Amino acid sequence: MYLYNEIDQTLLNERVAQFRDQTKRFLSGDLTEDQFRPLRLMNGLYIQTHAPMLRVNIPYGLLSSKQLRMFAHIADKYDKNYGHFTTRQNIQYNWPKLEQVPDILADLATVQMHAIQSSGNCIRNITCDPLAGVCADEIEDPRPYCEIIRQWATLHPEFSYLPRKFKFAVSGSPKDRAATQVHDIGLNMKKDAQGNIGFEVLVGGGLGRTPVIGQVIASFISEKDILSYSEAILRTYNLFGRRDNKYKARIKILVRETGLEKFKAQVETEWQTIKGGSLKLTAEAIQRVKTHFSPLHYQAAPRDNDHAKHLANDSSFKAWVKQNTVEHKHSAYKVVFVSLKSPTRPPGDMTDRQMHDLADLSDDYSFGQLRTTHDQNLALTDVLESDLYALWQGLKRAGLATPNIGTITDMICCPGLDFCSLANASSIDIAHEITNRFADKAVDTGDISLKMSGCMNGCGHHSIGEIGVLGVDKKGEQWYQLTLGGSDSHYSKLGERLGKAIAKDSVVDAIDDIVDVYKENRTRGERFSHTLQRIGLQPFKDKVYDAH
Amino acid sequence: MTLIKHKKLSRDDWQYLKEGGELRASNNIVNLDYWRGNNAVLVSEHSPCGILIHGDENPESFVADLDKLSLIAIDMPSFADGRAYSLAKVLRDTYGFTKEIRAMGDILPDQALYLTRVGFDALEFANETSATLAIEKLSDFSVFYQPQLSSQA
Ligand code: SF4
Repeated sequence: MYLYNEIDQTLLNERVAQFRDQTKRFLSGDLTEDQFRPLRLMNGLYIQTHAPMLRVNIPYGLLSSKQLRMFAHIADKYDKNYGHFTTRQNIQYNWPKLEQVPDILADLATVQMHAIQSSGNCIRNITCDPLAGVCADEIEDPRPYCEIIRQWATLHPEFSYLPRKFKFAVSGSPKDRAATQVHDIGLNMKKDAQGNIGFEVLVGGGLGRTPVIGQVIASFISEKDILSYSEAILRTYNLFGRRDNKYKARIKILVRETGLEKFKAQVETEWQTIKGGSLKLTAEAIQRVKTHFSPLHYQAAPRDNDHAKHLANDSSFKAWVKQNTVEHKHSAYKVVFVSLKSPTRPPGDMTDRQMHDLADLSDDYSFGQLRTTHDQNLALTDVLESDLYALWQGLKRAGLATPNIGTITDMICCPGLDFCSLANASSIDIAHEITNRFADKAVDTGDISLKMSGCMNGCGHHSIGEIGVLGVDKKGEQWYQLTLGGSDSHYSKLGERLGKAIAKDSVVDAIDDIVDVYKENRTRGERFSHTLQRIGLQPFKDKVYDAH
Repeated sequence: MTLIKHKKLSRDDWQYLKEGGELRASNNIVNLDYWRGNNAVLVSEHSPCGILIHGDENPESFVADLDKLSLIAIDMPSFADGRAYSLAKVLRDTYGFTKEIRAMGDILPDQALYLTRVGFDALEFANETSATLAIEKLSDFSVFYQPQLSSQA
């Protein structure tokens, strides 16, 4: 974990005091709604269908058991006993009272958590590979760099009133688990021929109304220049990005309208003027941040290990190990995914009780640390293989051991009509139906990524789901547009439209049909997207539209 | 209008030249078109001079004249439009402009601190209440992650 120093803590406390004053002035009428809006948004506070929604950052997805307990405390004291984990390593509370938000922020600040820039037209939470530091294929641990970027971006005086929101993602592995291609800036860590650390920089990716895959603007920027180069991109965007139409205000539109080459030249010119200045990182400055991350002390595998026995004797344990755990760079350890997609709760939701239970389990079995993934799950990344059985039993008791990671019931889903005022259609009830329909056959069906958004804004990332579901409004009724073949792995790809939108009561049947076509046609071990590529869209179309 | 400089309410020695208005002996703030048409006279007979530009103005259009200017006022079309923050920063750090850069138009007291951090050293508020609040807000933070402007260091 990154350990806060005095400056970090002071800044956080001062931010809480500032927001307390702003809220007070709004409630007393000294600030108008229009004036308060950008101020509250910059602190993660939306006004939604029923109540305000508060979005709290989990910087680069790293969380301690103590922080998770604080999330539980907030869910219990200020909300309806649950929180919702998002695709961008945040947690959202759907029912706080506006006048209590300053107190919530003060509570969060005691465990170094905050909502700074979790919404608004500014630089948002920096996201990162949930397996950073523990995956075997890593080039370099990206988290210290995420922290360096987080600090630079926090309360940035120049970039707090951008044309539109701005998102960074950083990956340290050749296999991208941070979706760097669909971020405003995506950074992939690299080493040059001399072994120097740096980044491949992608720009202009994003989902939403106009999904775009990011393009490479620089193939190698040295670690010492990463802030000045980012600043050059942001300044160019801030000066030239469109402000006349909020749907054309993201940097992807600026890059498209300017052309990548010209945009790149503008950034380069700006960069040359600031490159040697105060943003240049020294080796010591980078090292200082690295030493603020407390190292984990791994042990060798214990000699008495009943793991094999448990696997042989307990088939549900075996199924869970197969589906919900992956290799760790130390062979005695495993990475455990904690599924937040159970049949009993909306995707990504977790109760305060579960948070407490999981915090305890992470203390017992995973150094008291957790991660959030961009599939709206959590992970315990450092579990001794010999502890898996005990951990699994604990997770089962807490209702957190659904063995469905990567399967169709492990879907991504936005809040939709239930909470979001922009929604065309609901997503939570469809998710629920899918979970019920596939509960018994999900694992047998194999890994399929299903992603669902309640409107074109695409918070549920439907355009990069192997099966994408998008809510559309047809004369006041809820319909769903399906897309197939999207991908968010290293080669991000946008899904293709299956055909005309489908009525609400048929959409789960249609998904079932799609899965059937896949199962009938797949060769052994073939992934959904590969089968689709091989046989094309037509058989899926035929089945879905002939039947309905 | 109430002006803040150096964290204090301050007397305003400058005046905006209105359409068809009279030039004063000195300290006139004129718009860019007027400046382009009359800068020789302004410099020789009415120094010091200032210009008023829009927040979306490209600095290329006036930077050649920077050494003749003692003030640049930037008109913020909306407090949510942040272009002028980059404009001020570029004027300070890239072009080395050291005289007054003034923010006017639609600004909030809550923005005073960020404005001064990017290089504005004079802020115009609609009334004294807003200006006084803005002075308070200048002390909201005692620590920053970003380096200071090179000109302020
Ligand atoms: S995708 Fe649309 S409905 Fe869903 S959360 Fe985003 S804005 Fe709301």
